[in-house]
Amino acid sequence: VGGGKGGVGKTFLSANLAVALARQGYRVIAVDTDIEGANLHTWLGVRAPSRTLADFVAGRESNVMRLVIATPVENVGLIAATQGNLAAAHPDAHRRVELLQSLRRMPCDFVLVDCGAGAHPSTLDYFLVSDDGLLVLHPEPTSVENAYAFVRAAFYRRMQVALQKHDVRALVRDAMDQRSARGIRTPLDLLREVEQMDPEEGQRFVETMRRFRPRIVVNEVATAEDVKLGFSVSSVCRRFFGIDADYIGYLNRDAAVRESVLRRQPVFDVSPDCDAAVYLKRIARKLAEGAPLPQNPAAEAVSR
Amino acid sequence: VRPFSEQTHYEILEIAREAPPAEIERAYRIVRATYAEDSLATYSIYDAAELRAIQERIELAHRVLADAEQRAAYDASLGTAERVELALSFADDDEVSASPELKGFEELGEGGPFDGARLRRARLARGIELDRIASVTKINPTYLRFIEDDRFQELPATVYVRGFVTAYVRCLGLEPERIVPSYMERLLAARPEKPLRALAQRTR
Repeated sequence: VGGGKGGVGKTFLSANLAVALARQGYRVIAVDTDIEGANLHTWLGVRAPSRTLADFVAGRESNVMRLVIATPVENVGLIAATQGNLAAAHPDAHRRVELLQSLRRMPCDFVLVDCGAGAHPSTLDYFLVSDDGLLVLHPEPTSVENAYAFVRAAFYRRMQVALQKHDVRALVRDAMDQRSARGIRTPLDLLREVEQMDPEEGQRFVETMRRFRPRIVVNEVATAEDVKLGFSVSSVCRRFFGIDADYIGYLNRDAAVRESVLRRQPVFDVSPDCDAAVYLKRIARKLAEGAPLPQNPAAEAVSR
Repeated sequence: VRPFSEQTHYEILEIAREAPPAEIERAYRIVRATYAEDSLATYSIYDAAELRAIQERIELAHRVLADAEQRAAYDASLGTAERVELALSFADDDEVSASPELKGFEELGEGGPFDGARLRRARLARGIELDRIASVTKINPTYLRFIEDDRFQELPATVYVRGFVTAYVRCLGLEPERIVPSYMERLLAARPEKPLRALAQRTR
């Protein structure tokens, strides 16, 4: 769950989607990678996490699986981050790779990774490790602008990893500079150049592009126009970036959300039928489309 | 994905070859808004000249596809895909008279009573602003907001509210038969029969 800008509801969404999926019968682990502004644990009702990523960073715990702690919500585990030691907050390169690989091997049905704000390479890596990156937007210019910057940065980061030939990677690096002397403005321009330079890498480029499928969530909509913003951003992603970014859902402004954070409880427990709850359940259902059926089908009936 | 200049009219409007006329109009409105001068979605992406070029392509696509004859000729020129039976009437140009849901945002499978929040969700899922409903139905937008907020005590006499909710529901292209009684039941439970005070006040 990423999106560039701070305060658009990434952590809110991570926590409550975790709860929604758990109540549909899935086993979920929520992971807080927002090391400088960690508070996913609070949304999930955990007061002071007994183990956190800091233990992994400091080498006190080498097994990522053992970082998972229980939450008051059944079927939701948590890997928390806390503002313990900011000086050595981020894992080094070696540990980060191990963390990212472990996230893909968690013994559960869904891993929800809450990314911090901004488009720092480490944030992008947490986003890119996902199958379905959720791009969270607010219907306002600053958020939309940051979301595009985030998509662009994530896209190029992924390309750098995917492409193999040295001169082609240099070209990608060059393209990341928006004022690139070669006049490469969009990923599509870049694709043309790569194809000319090396058809095999061009093929790899297209493949990578196809697999990069962030999904858009517009949070705090107030008007029908806000609702439609998701379609517009999806259109721009396809047309300008060449990226298929489906519009998976929106949430409207809801007083119950504020109430939920004040009470440090999932919004479903504060107000089960509120707008936010209905919208979250809908997004969770879409996320679960194509996923294996929940282990515990009885829970499904409860969530409906 | 190809640049705008190489896309078909269908790709420009992001619709399928077999899209019916109403779908073309709806897609056109969304695409036009996306690439409008002051659009939230595009201002940081395209410069003025690029936007103008895109807007011209959108207008052209709409001009061709909205006209049955031109569309048929264009389809023929595209070849490959099978020919589409075109409906010849475009009477339904009013977005409010019957608005299908925006792609993929089903709402009514929810179950439970139709409260104001659910009506609002159904409205948003169809991309319809409250002001639009007010202007079509001539209902005071403040009352429409009260309906969505379940502020029963501030709404006028029951007979009026029933009319308002019916008009609102029709605007969304929904059937009032199922929805209105559900809404009114909650209103009456919260506000046992209220006399025609609003009428009395107005005629006084």
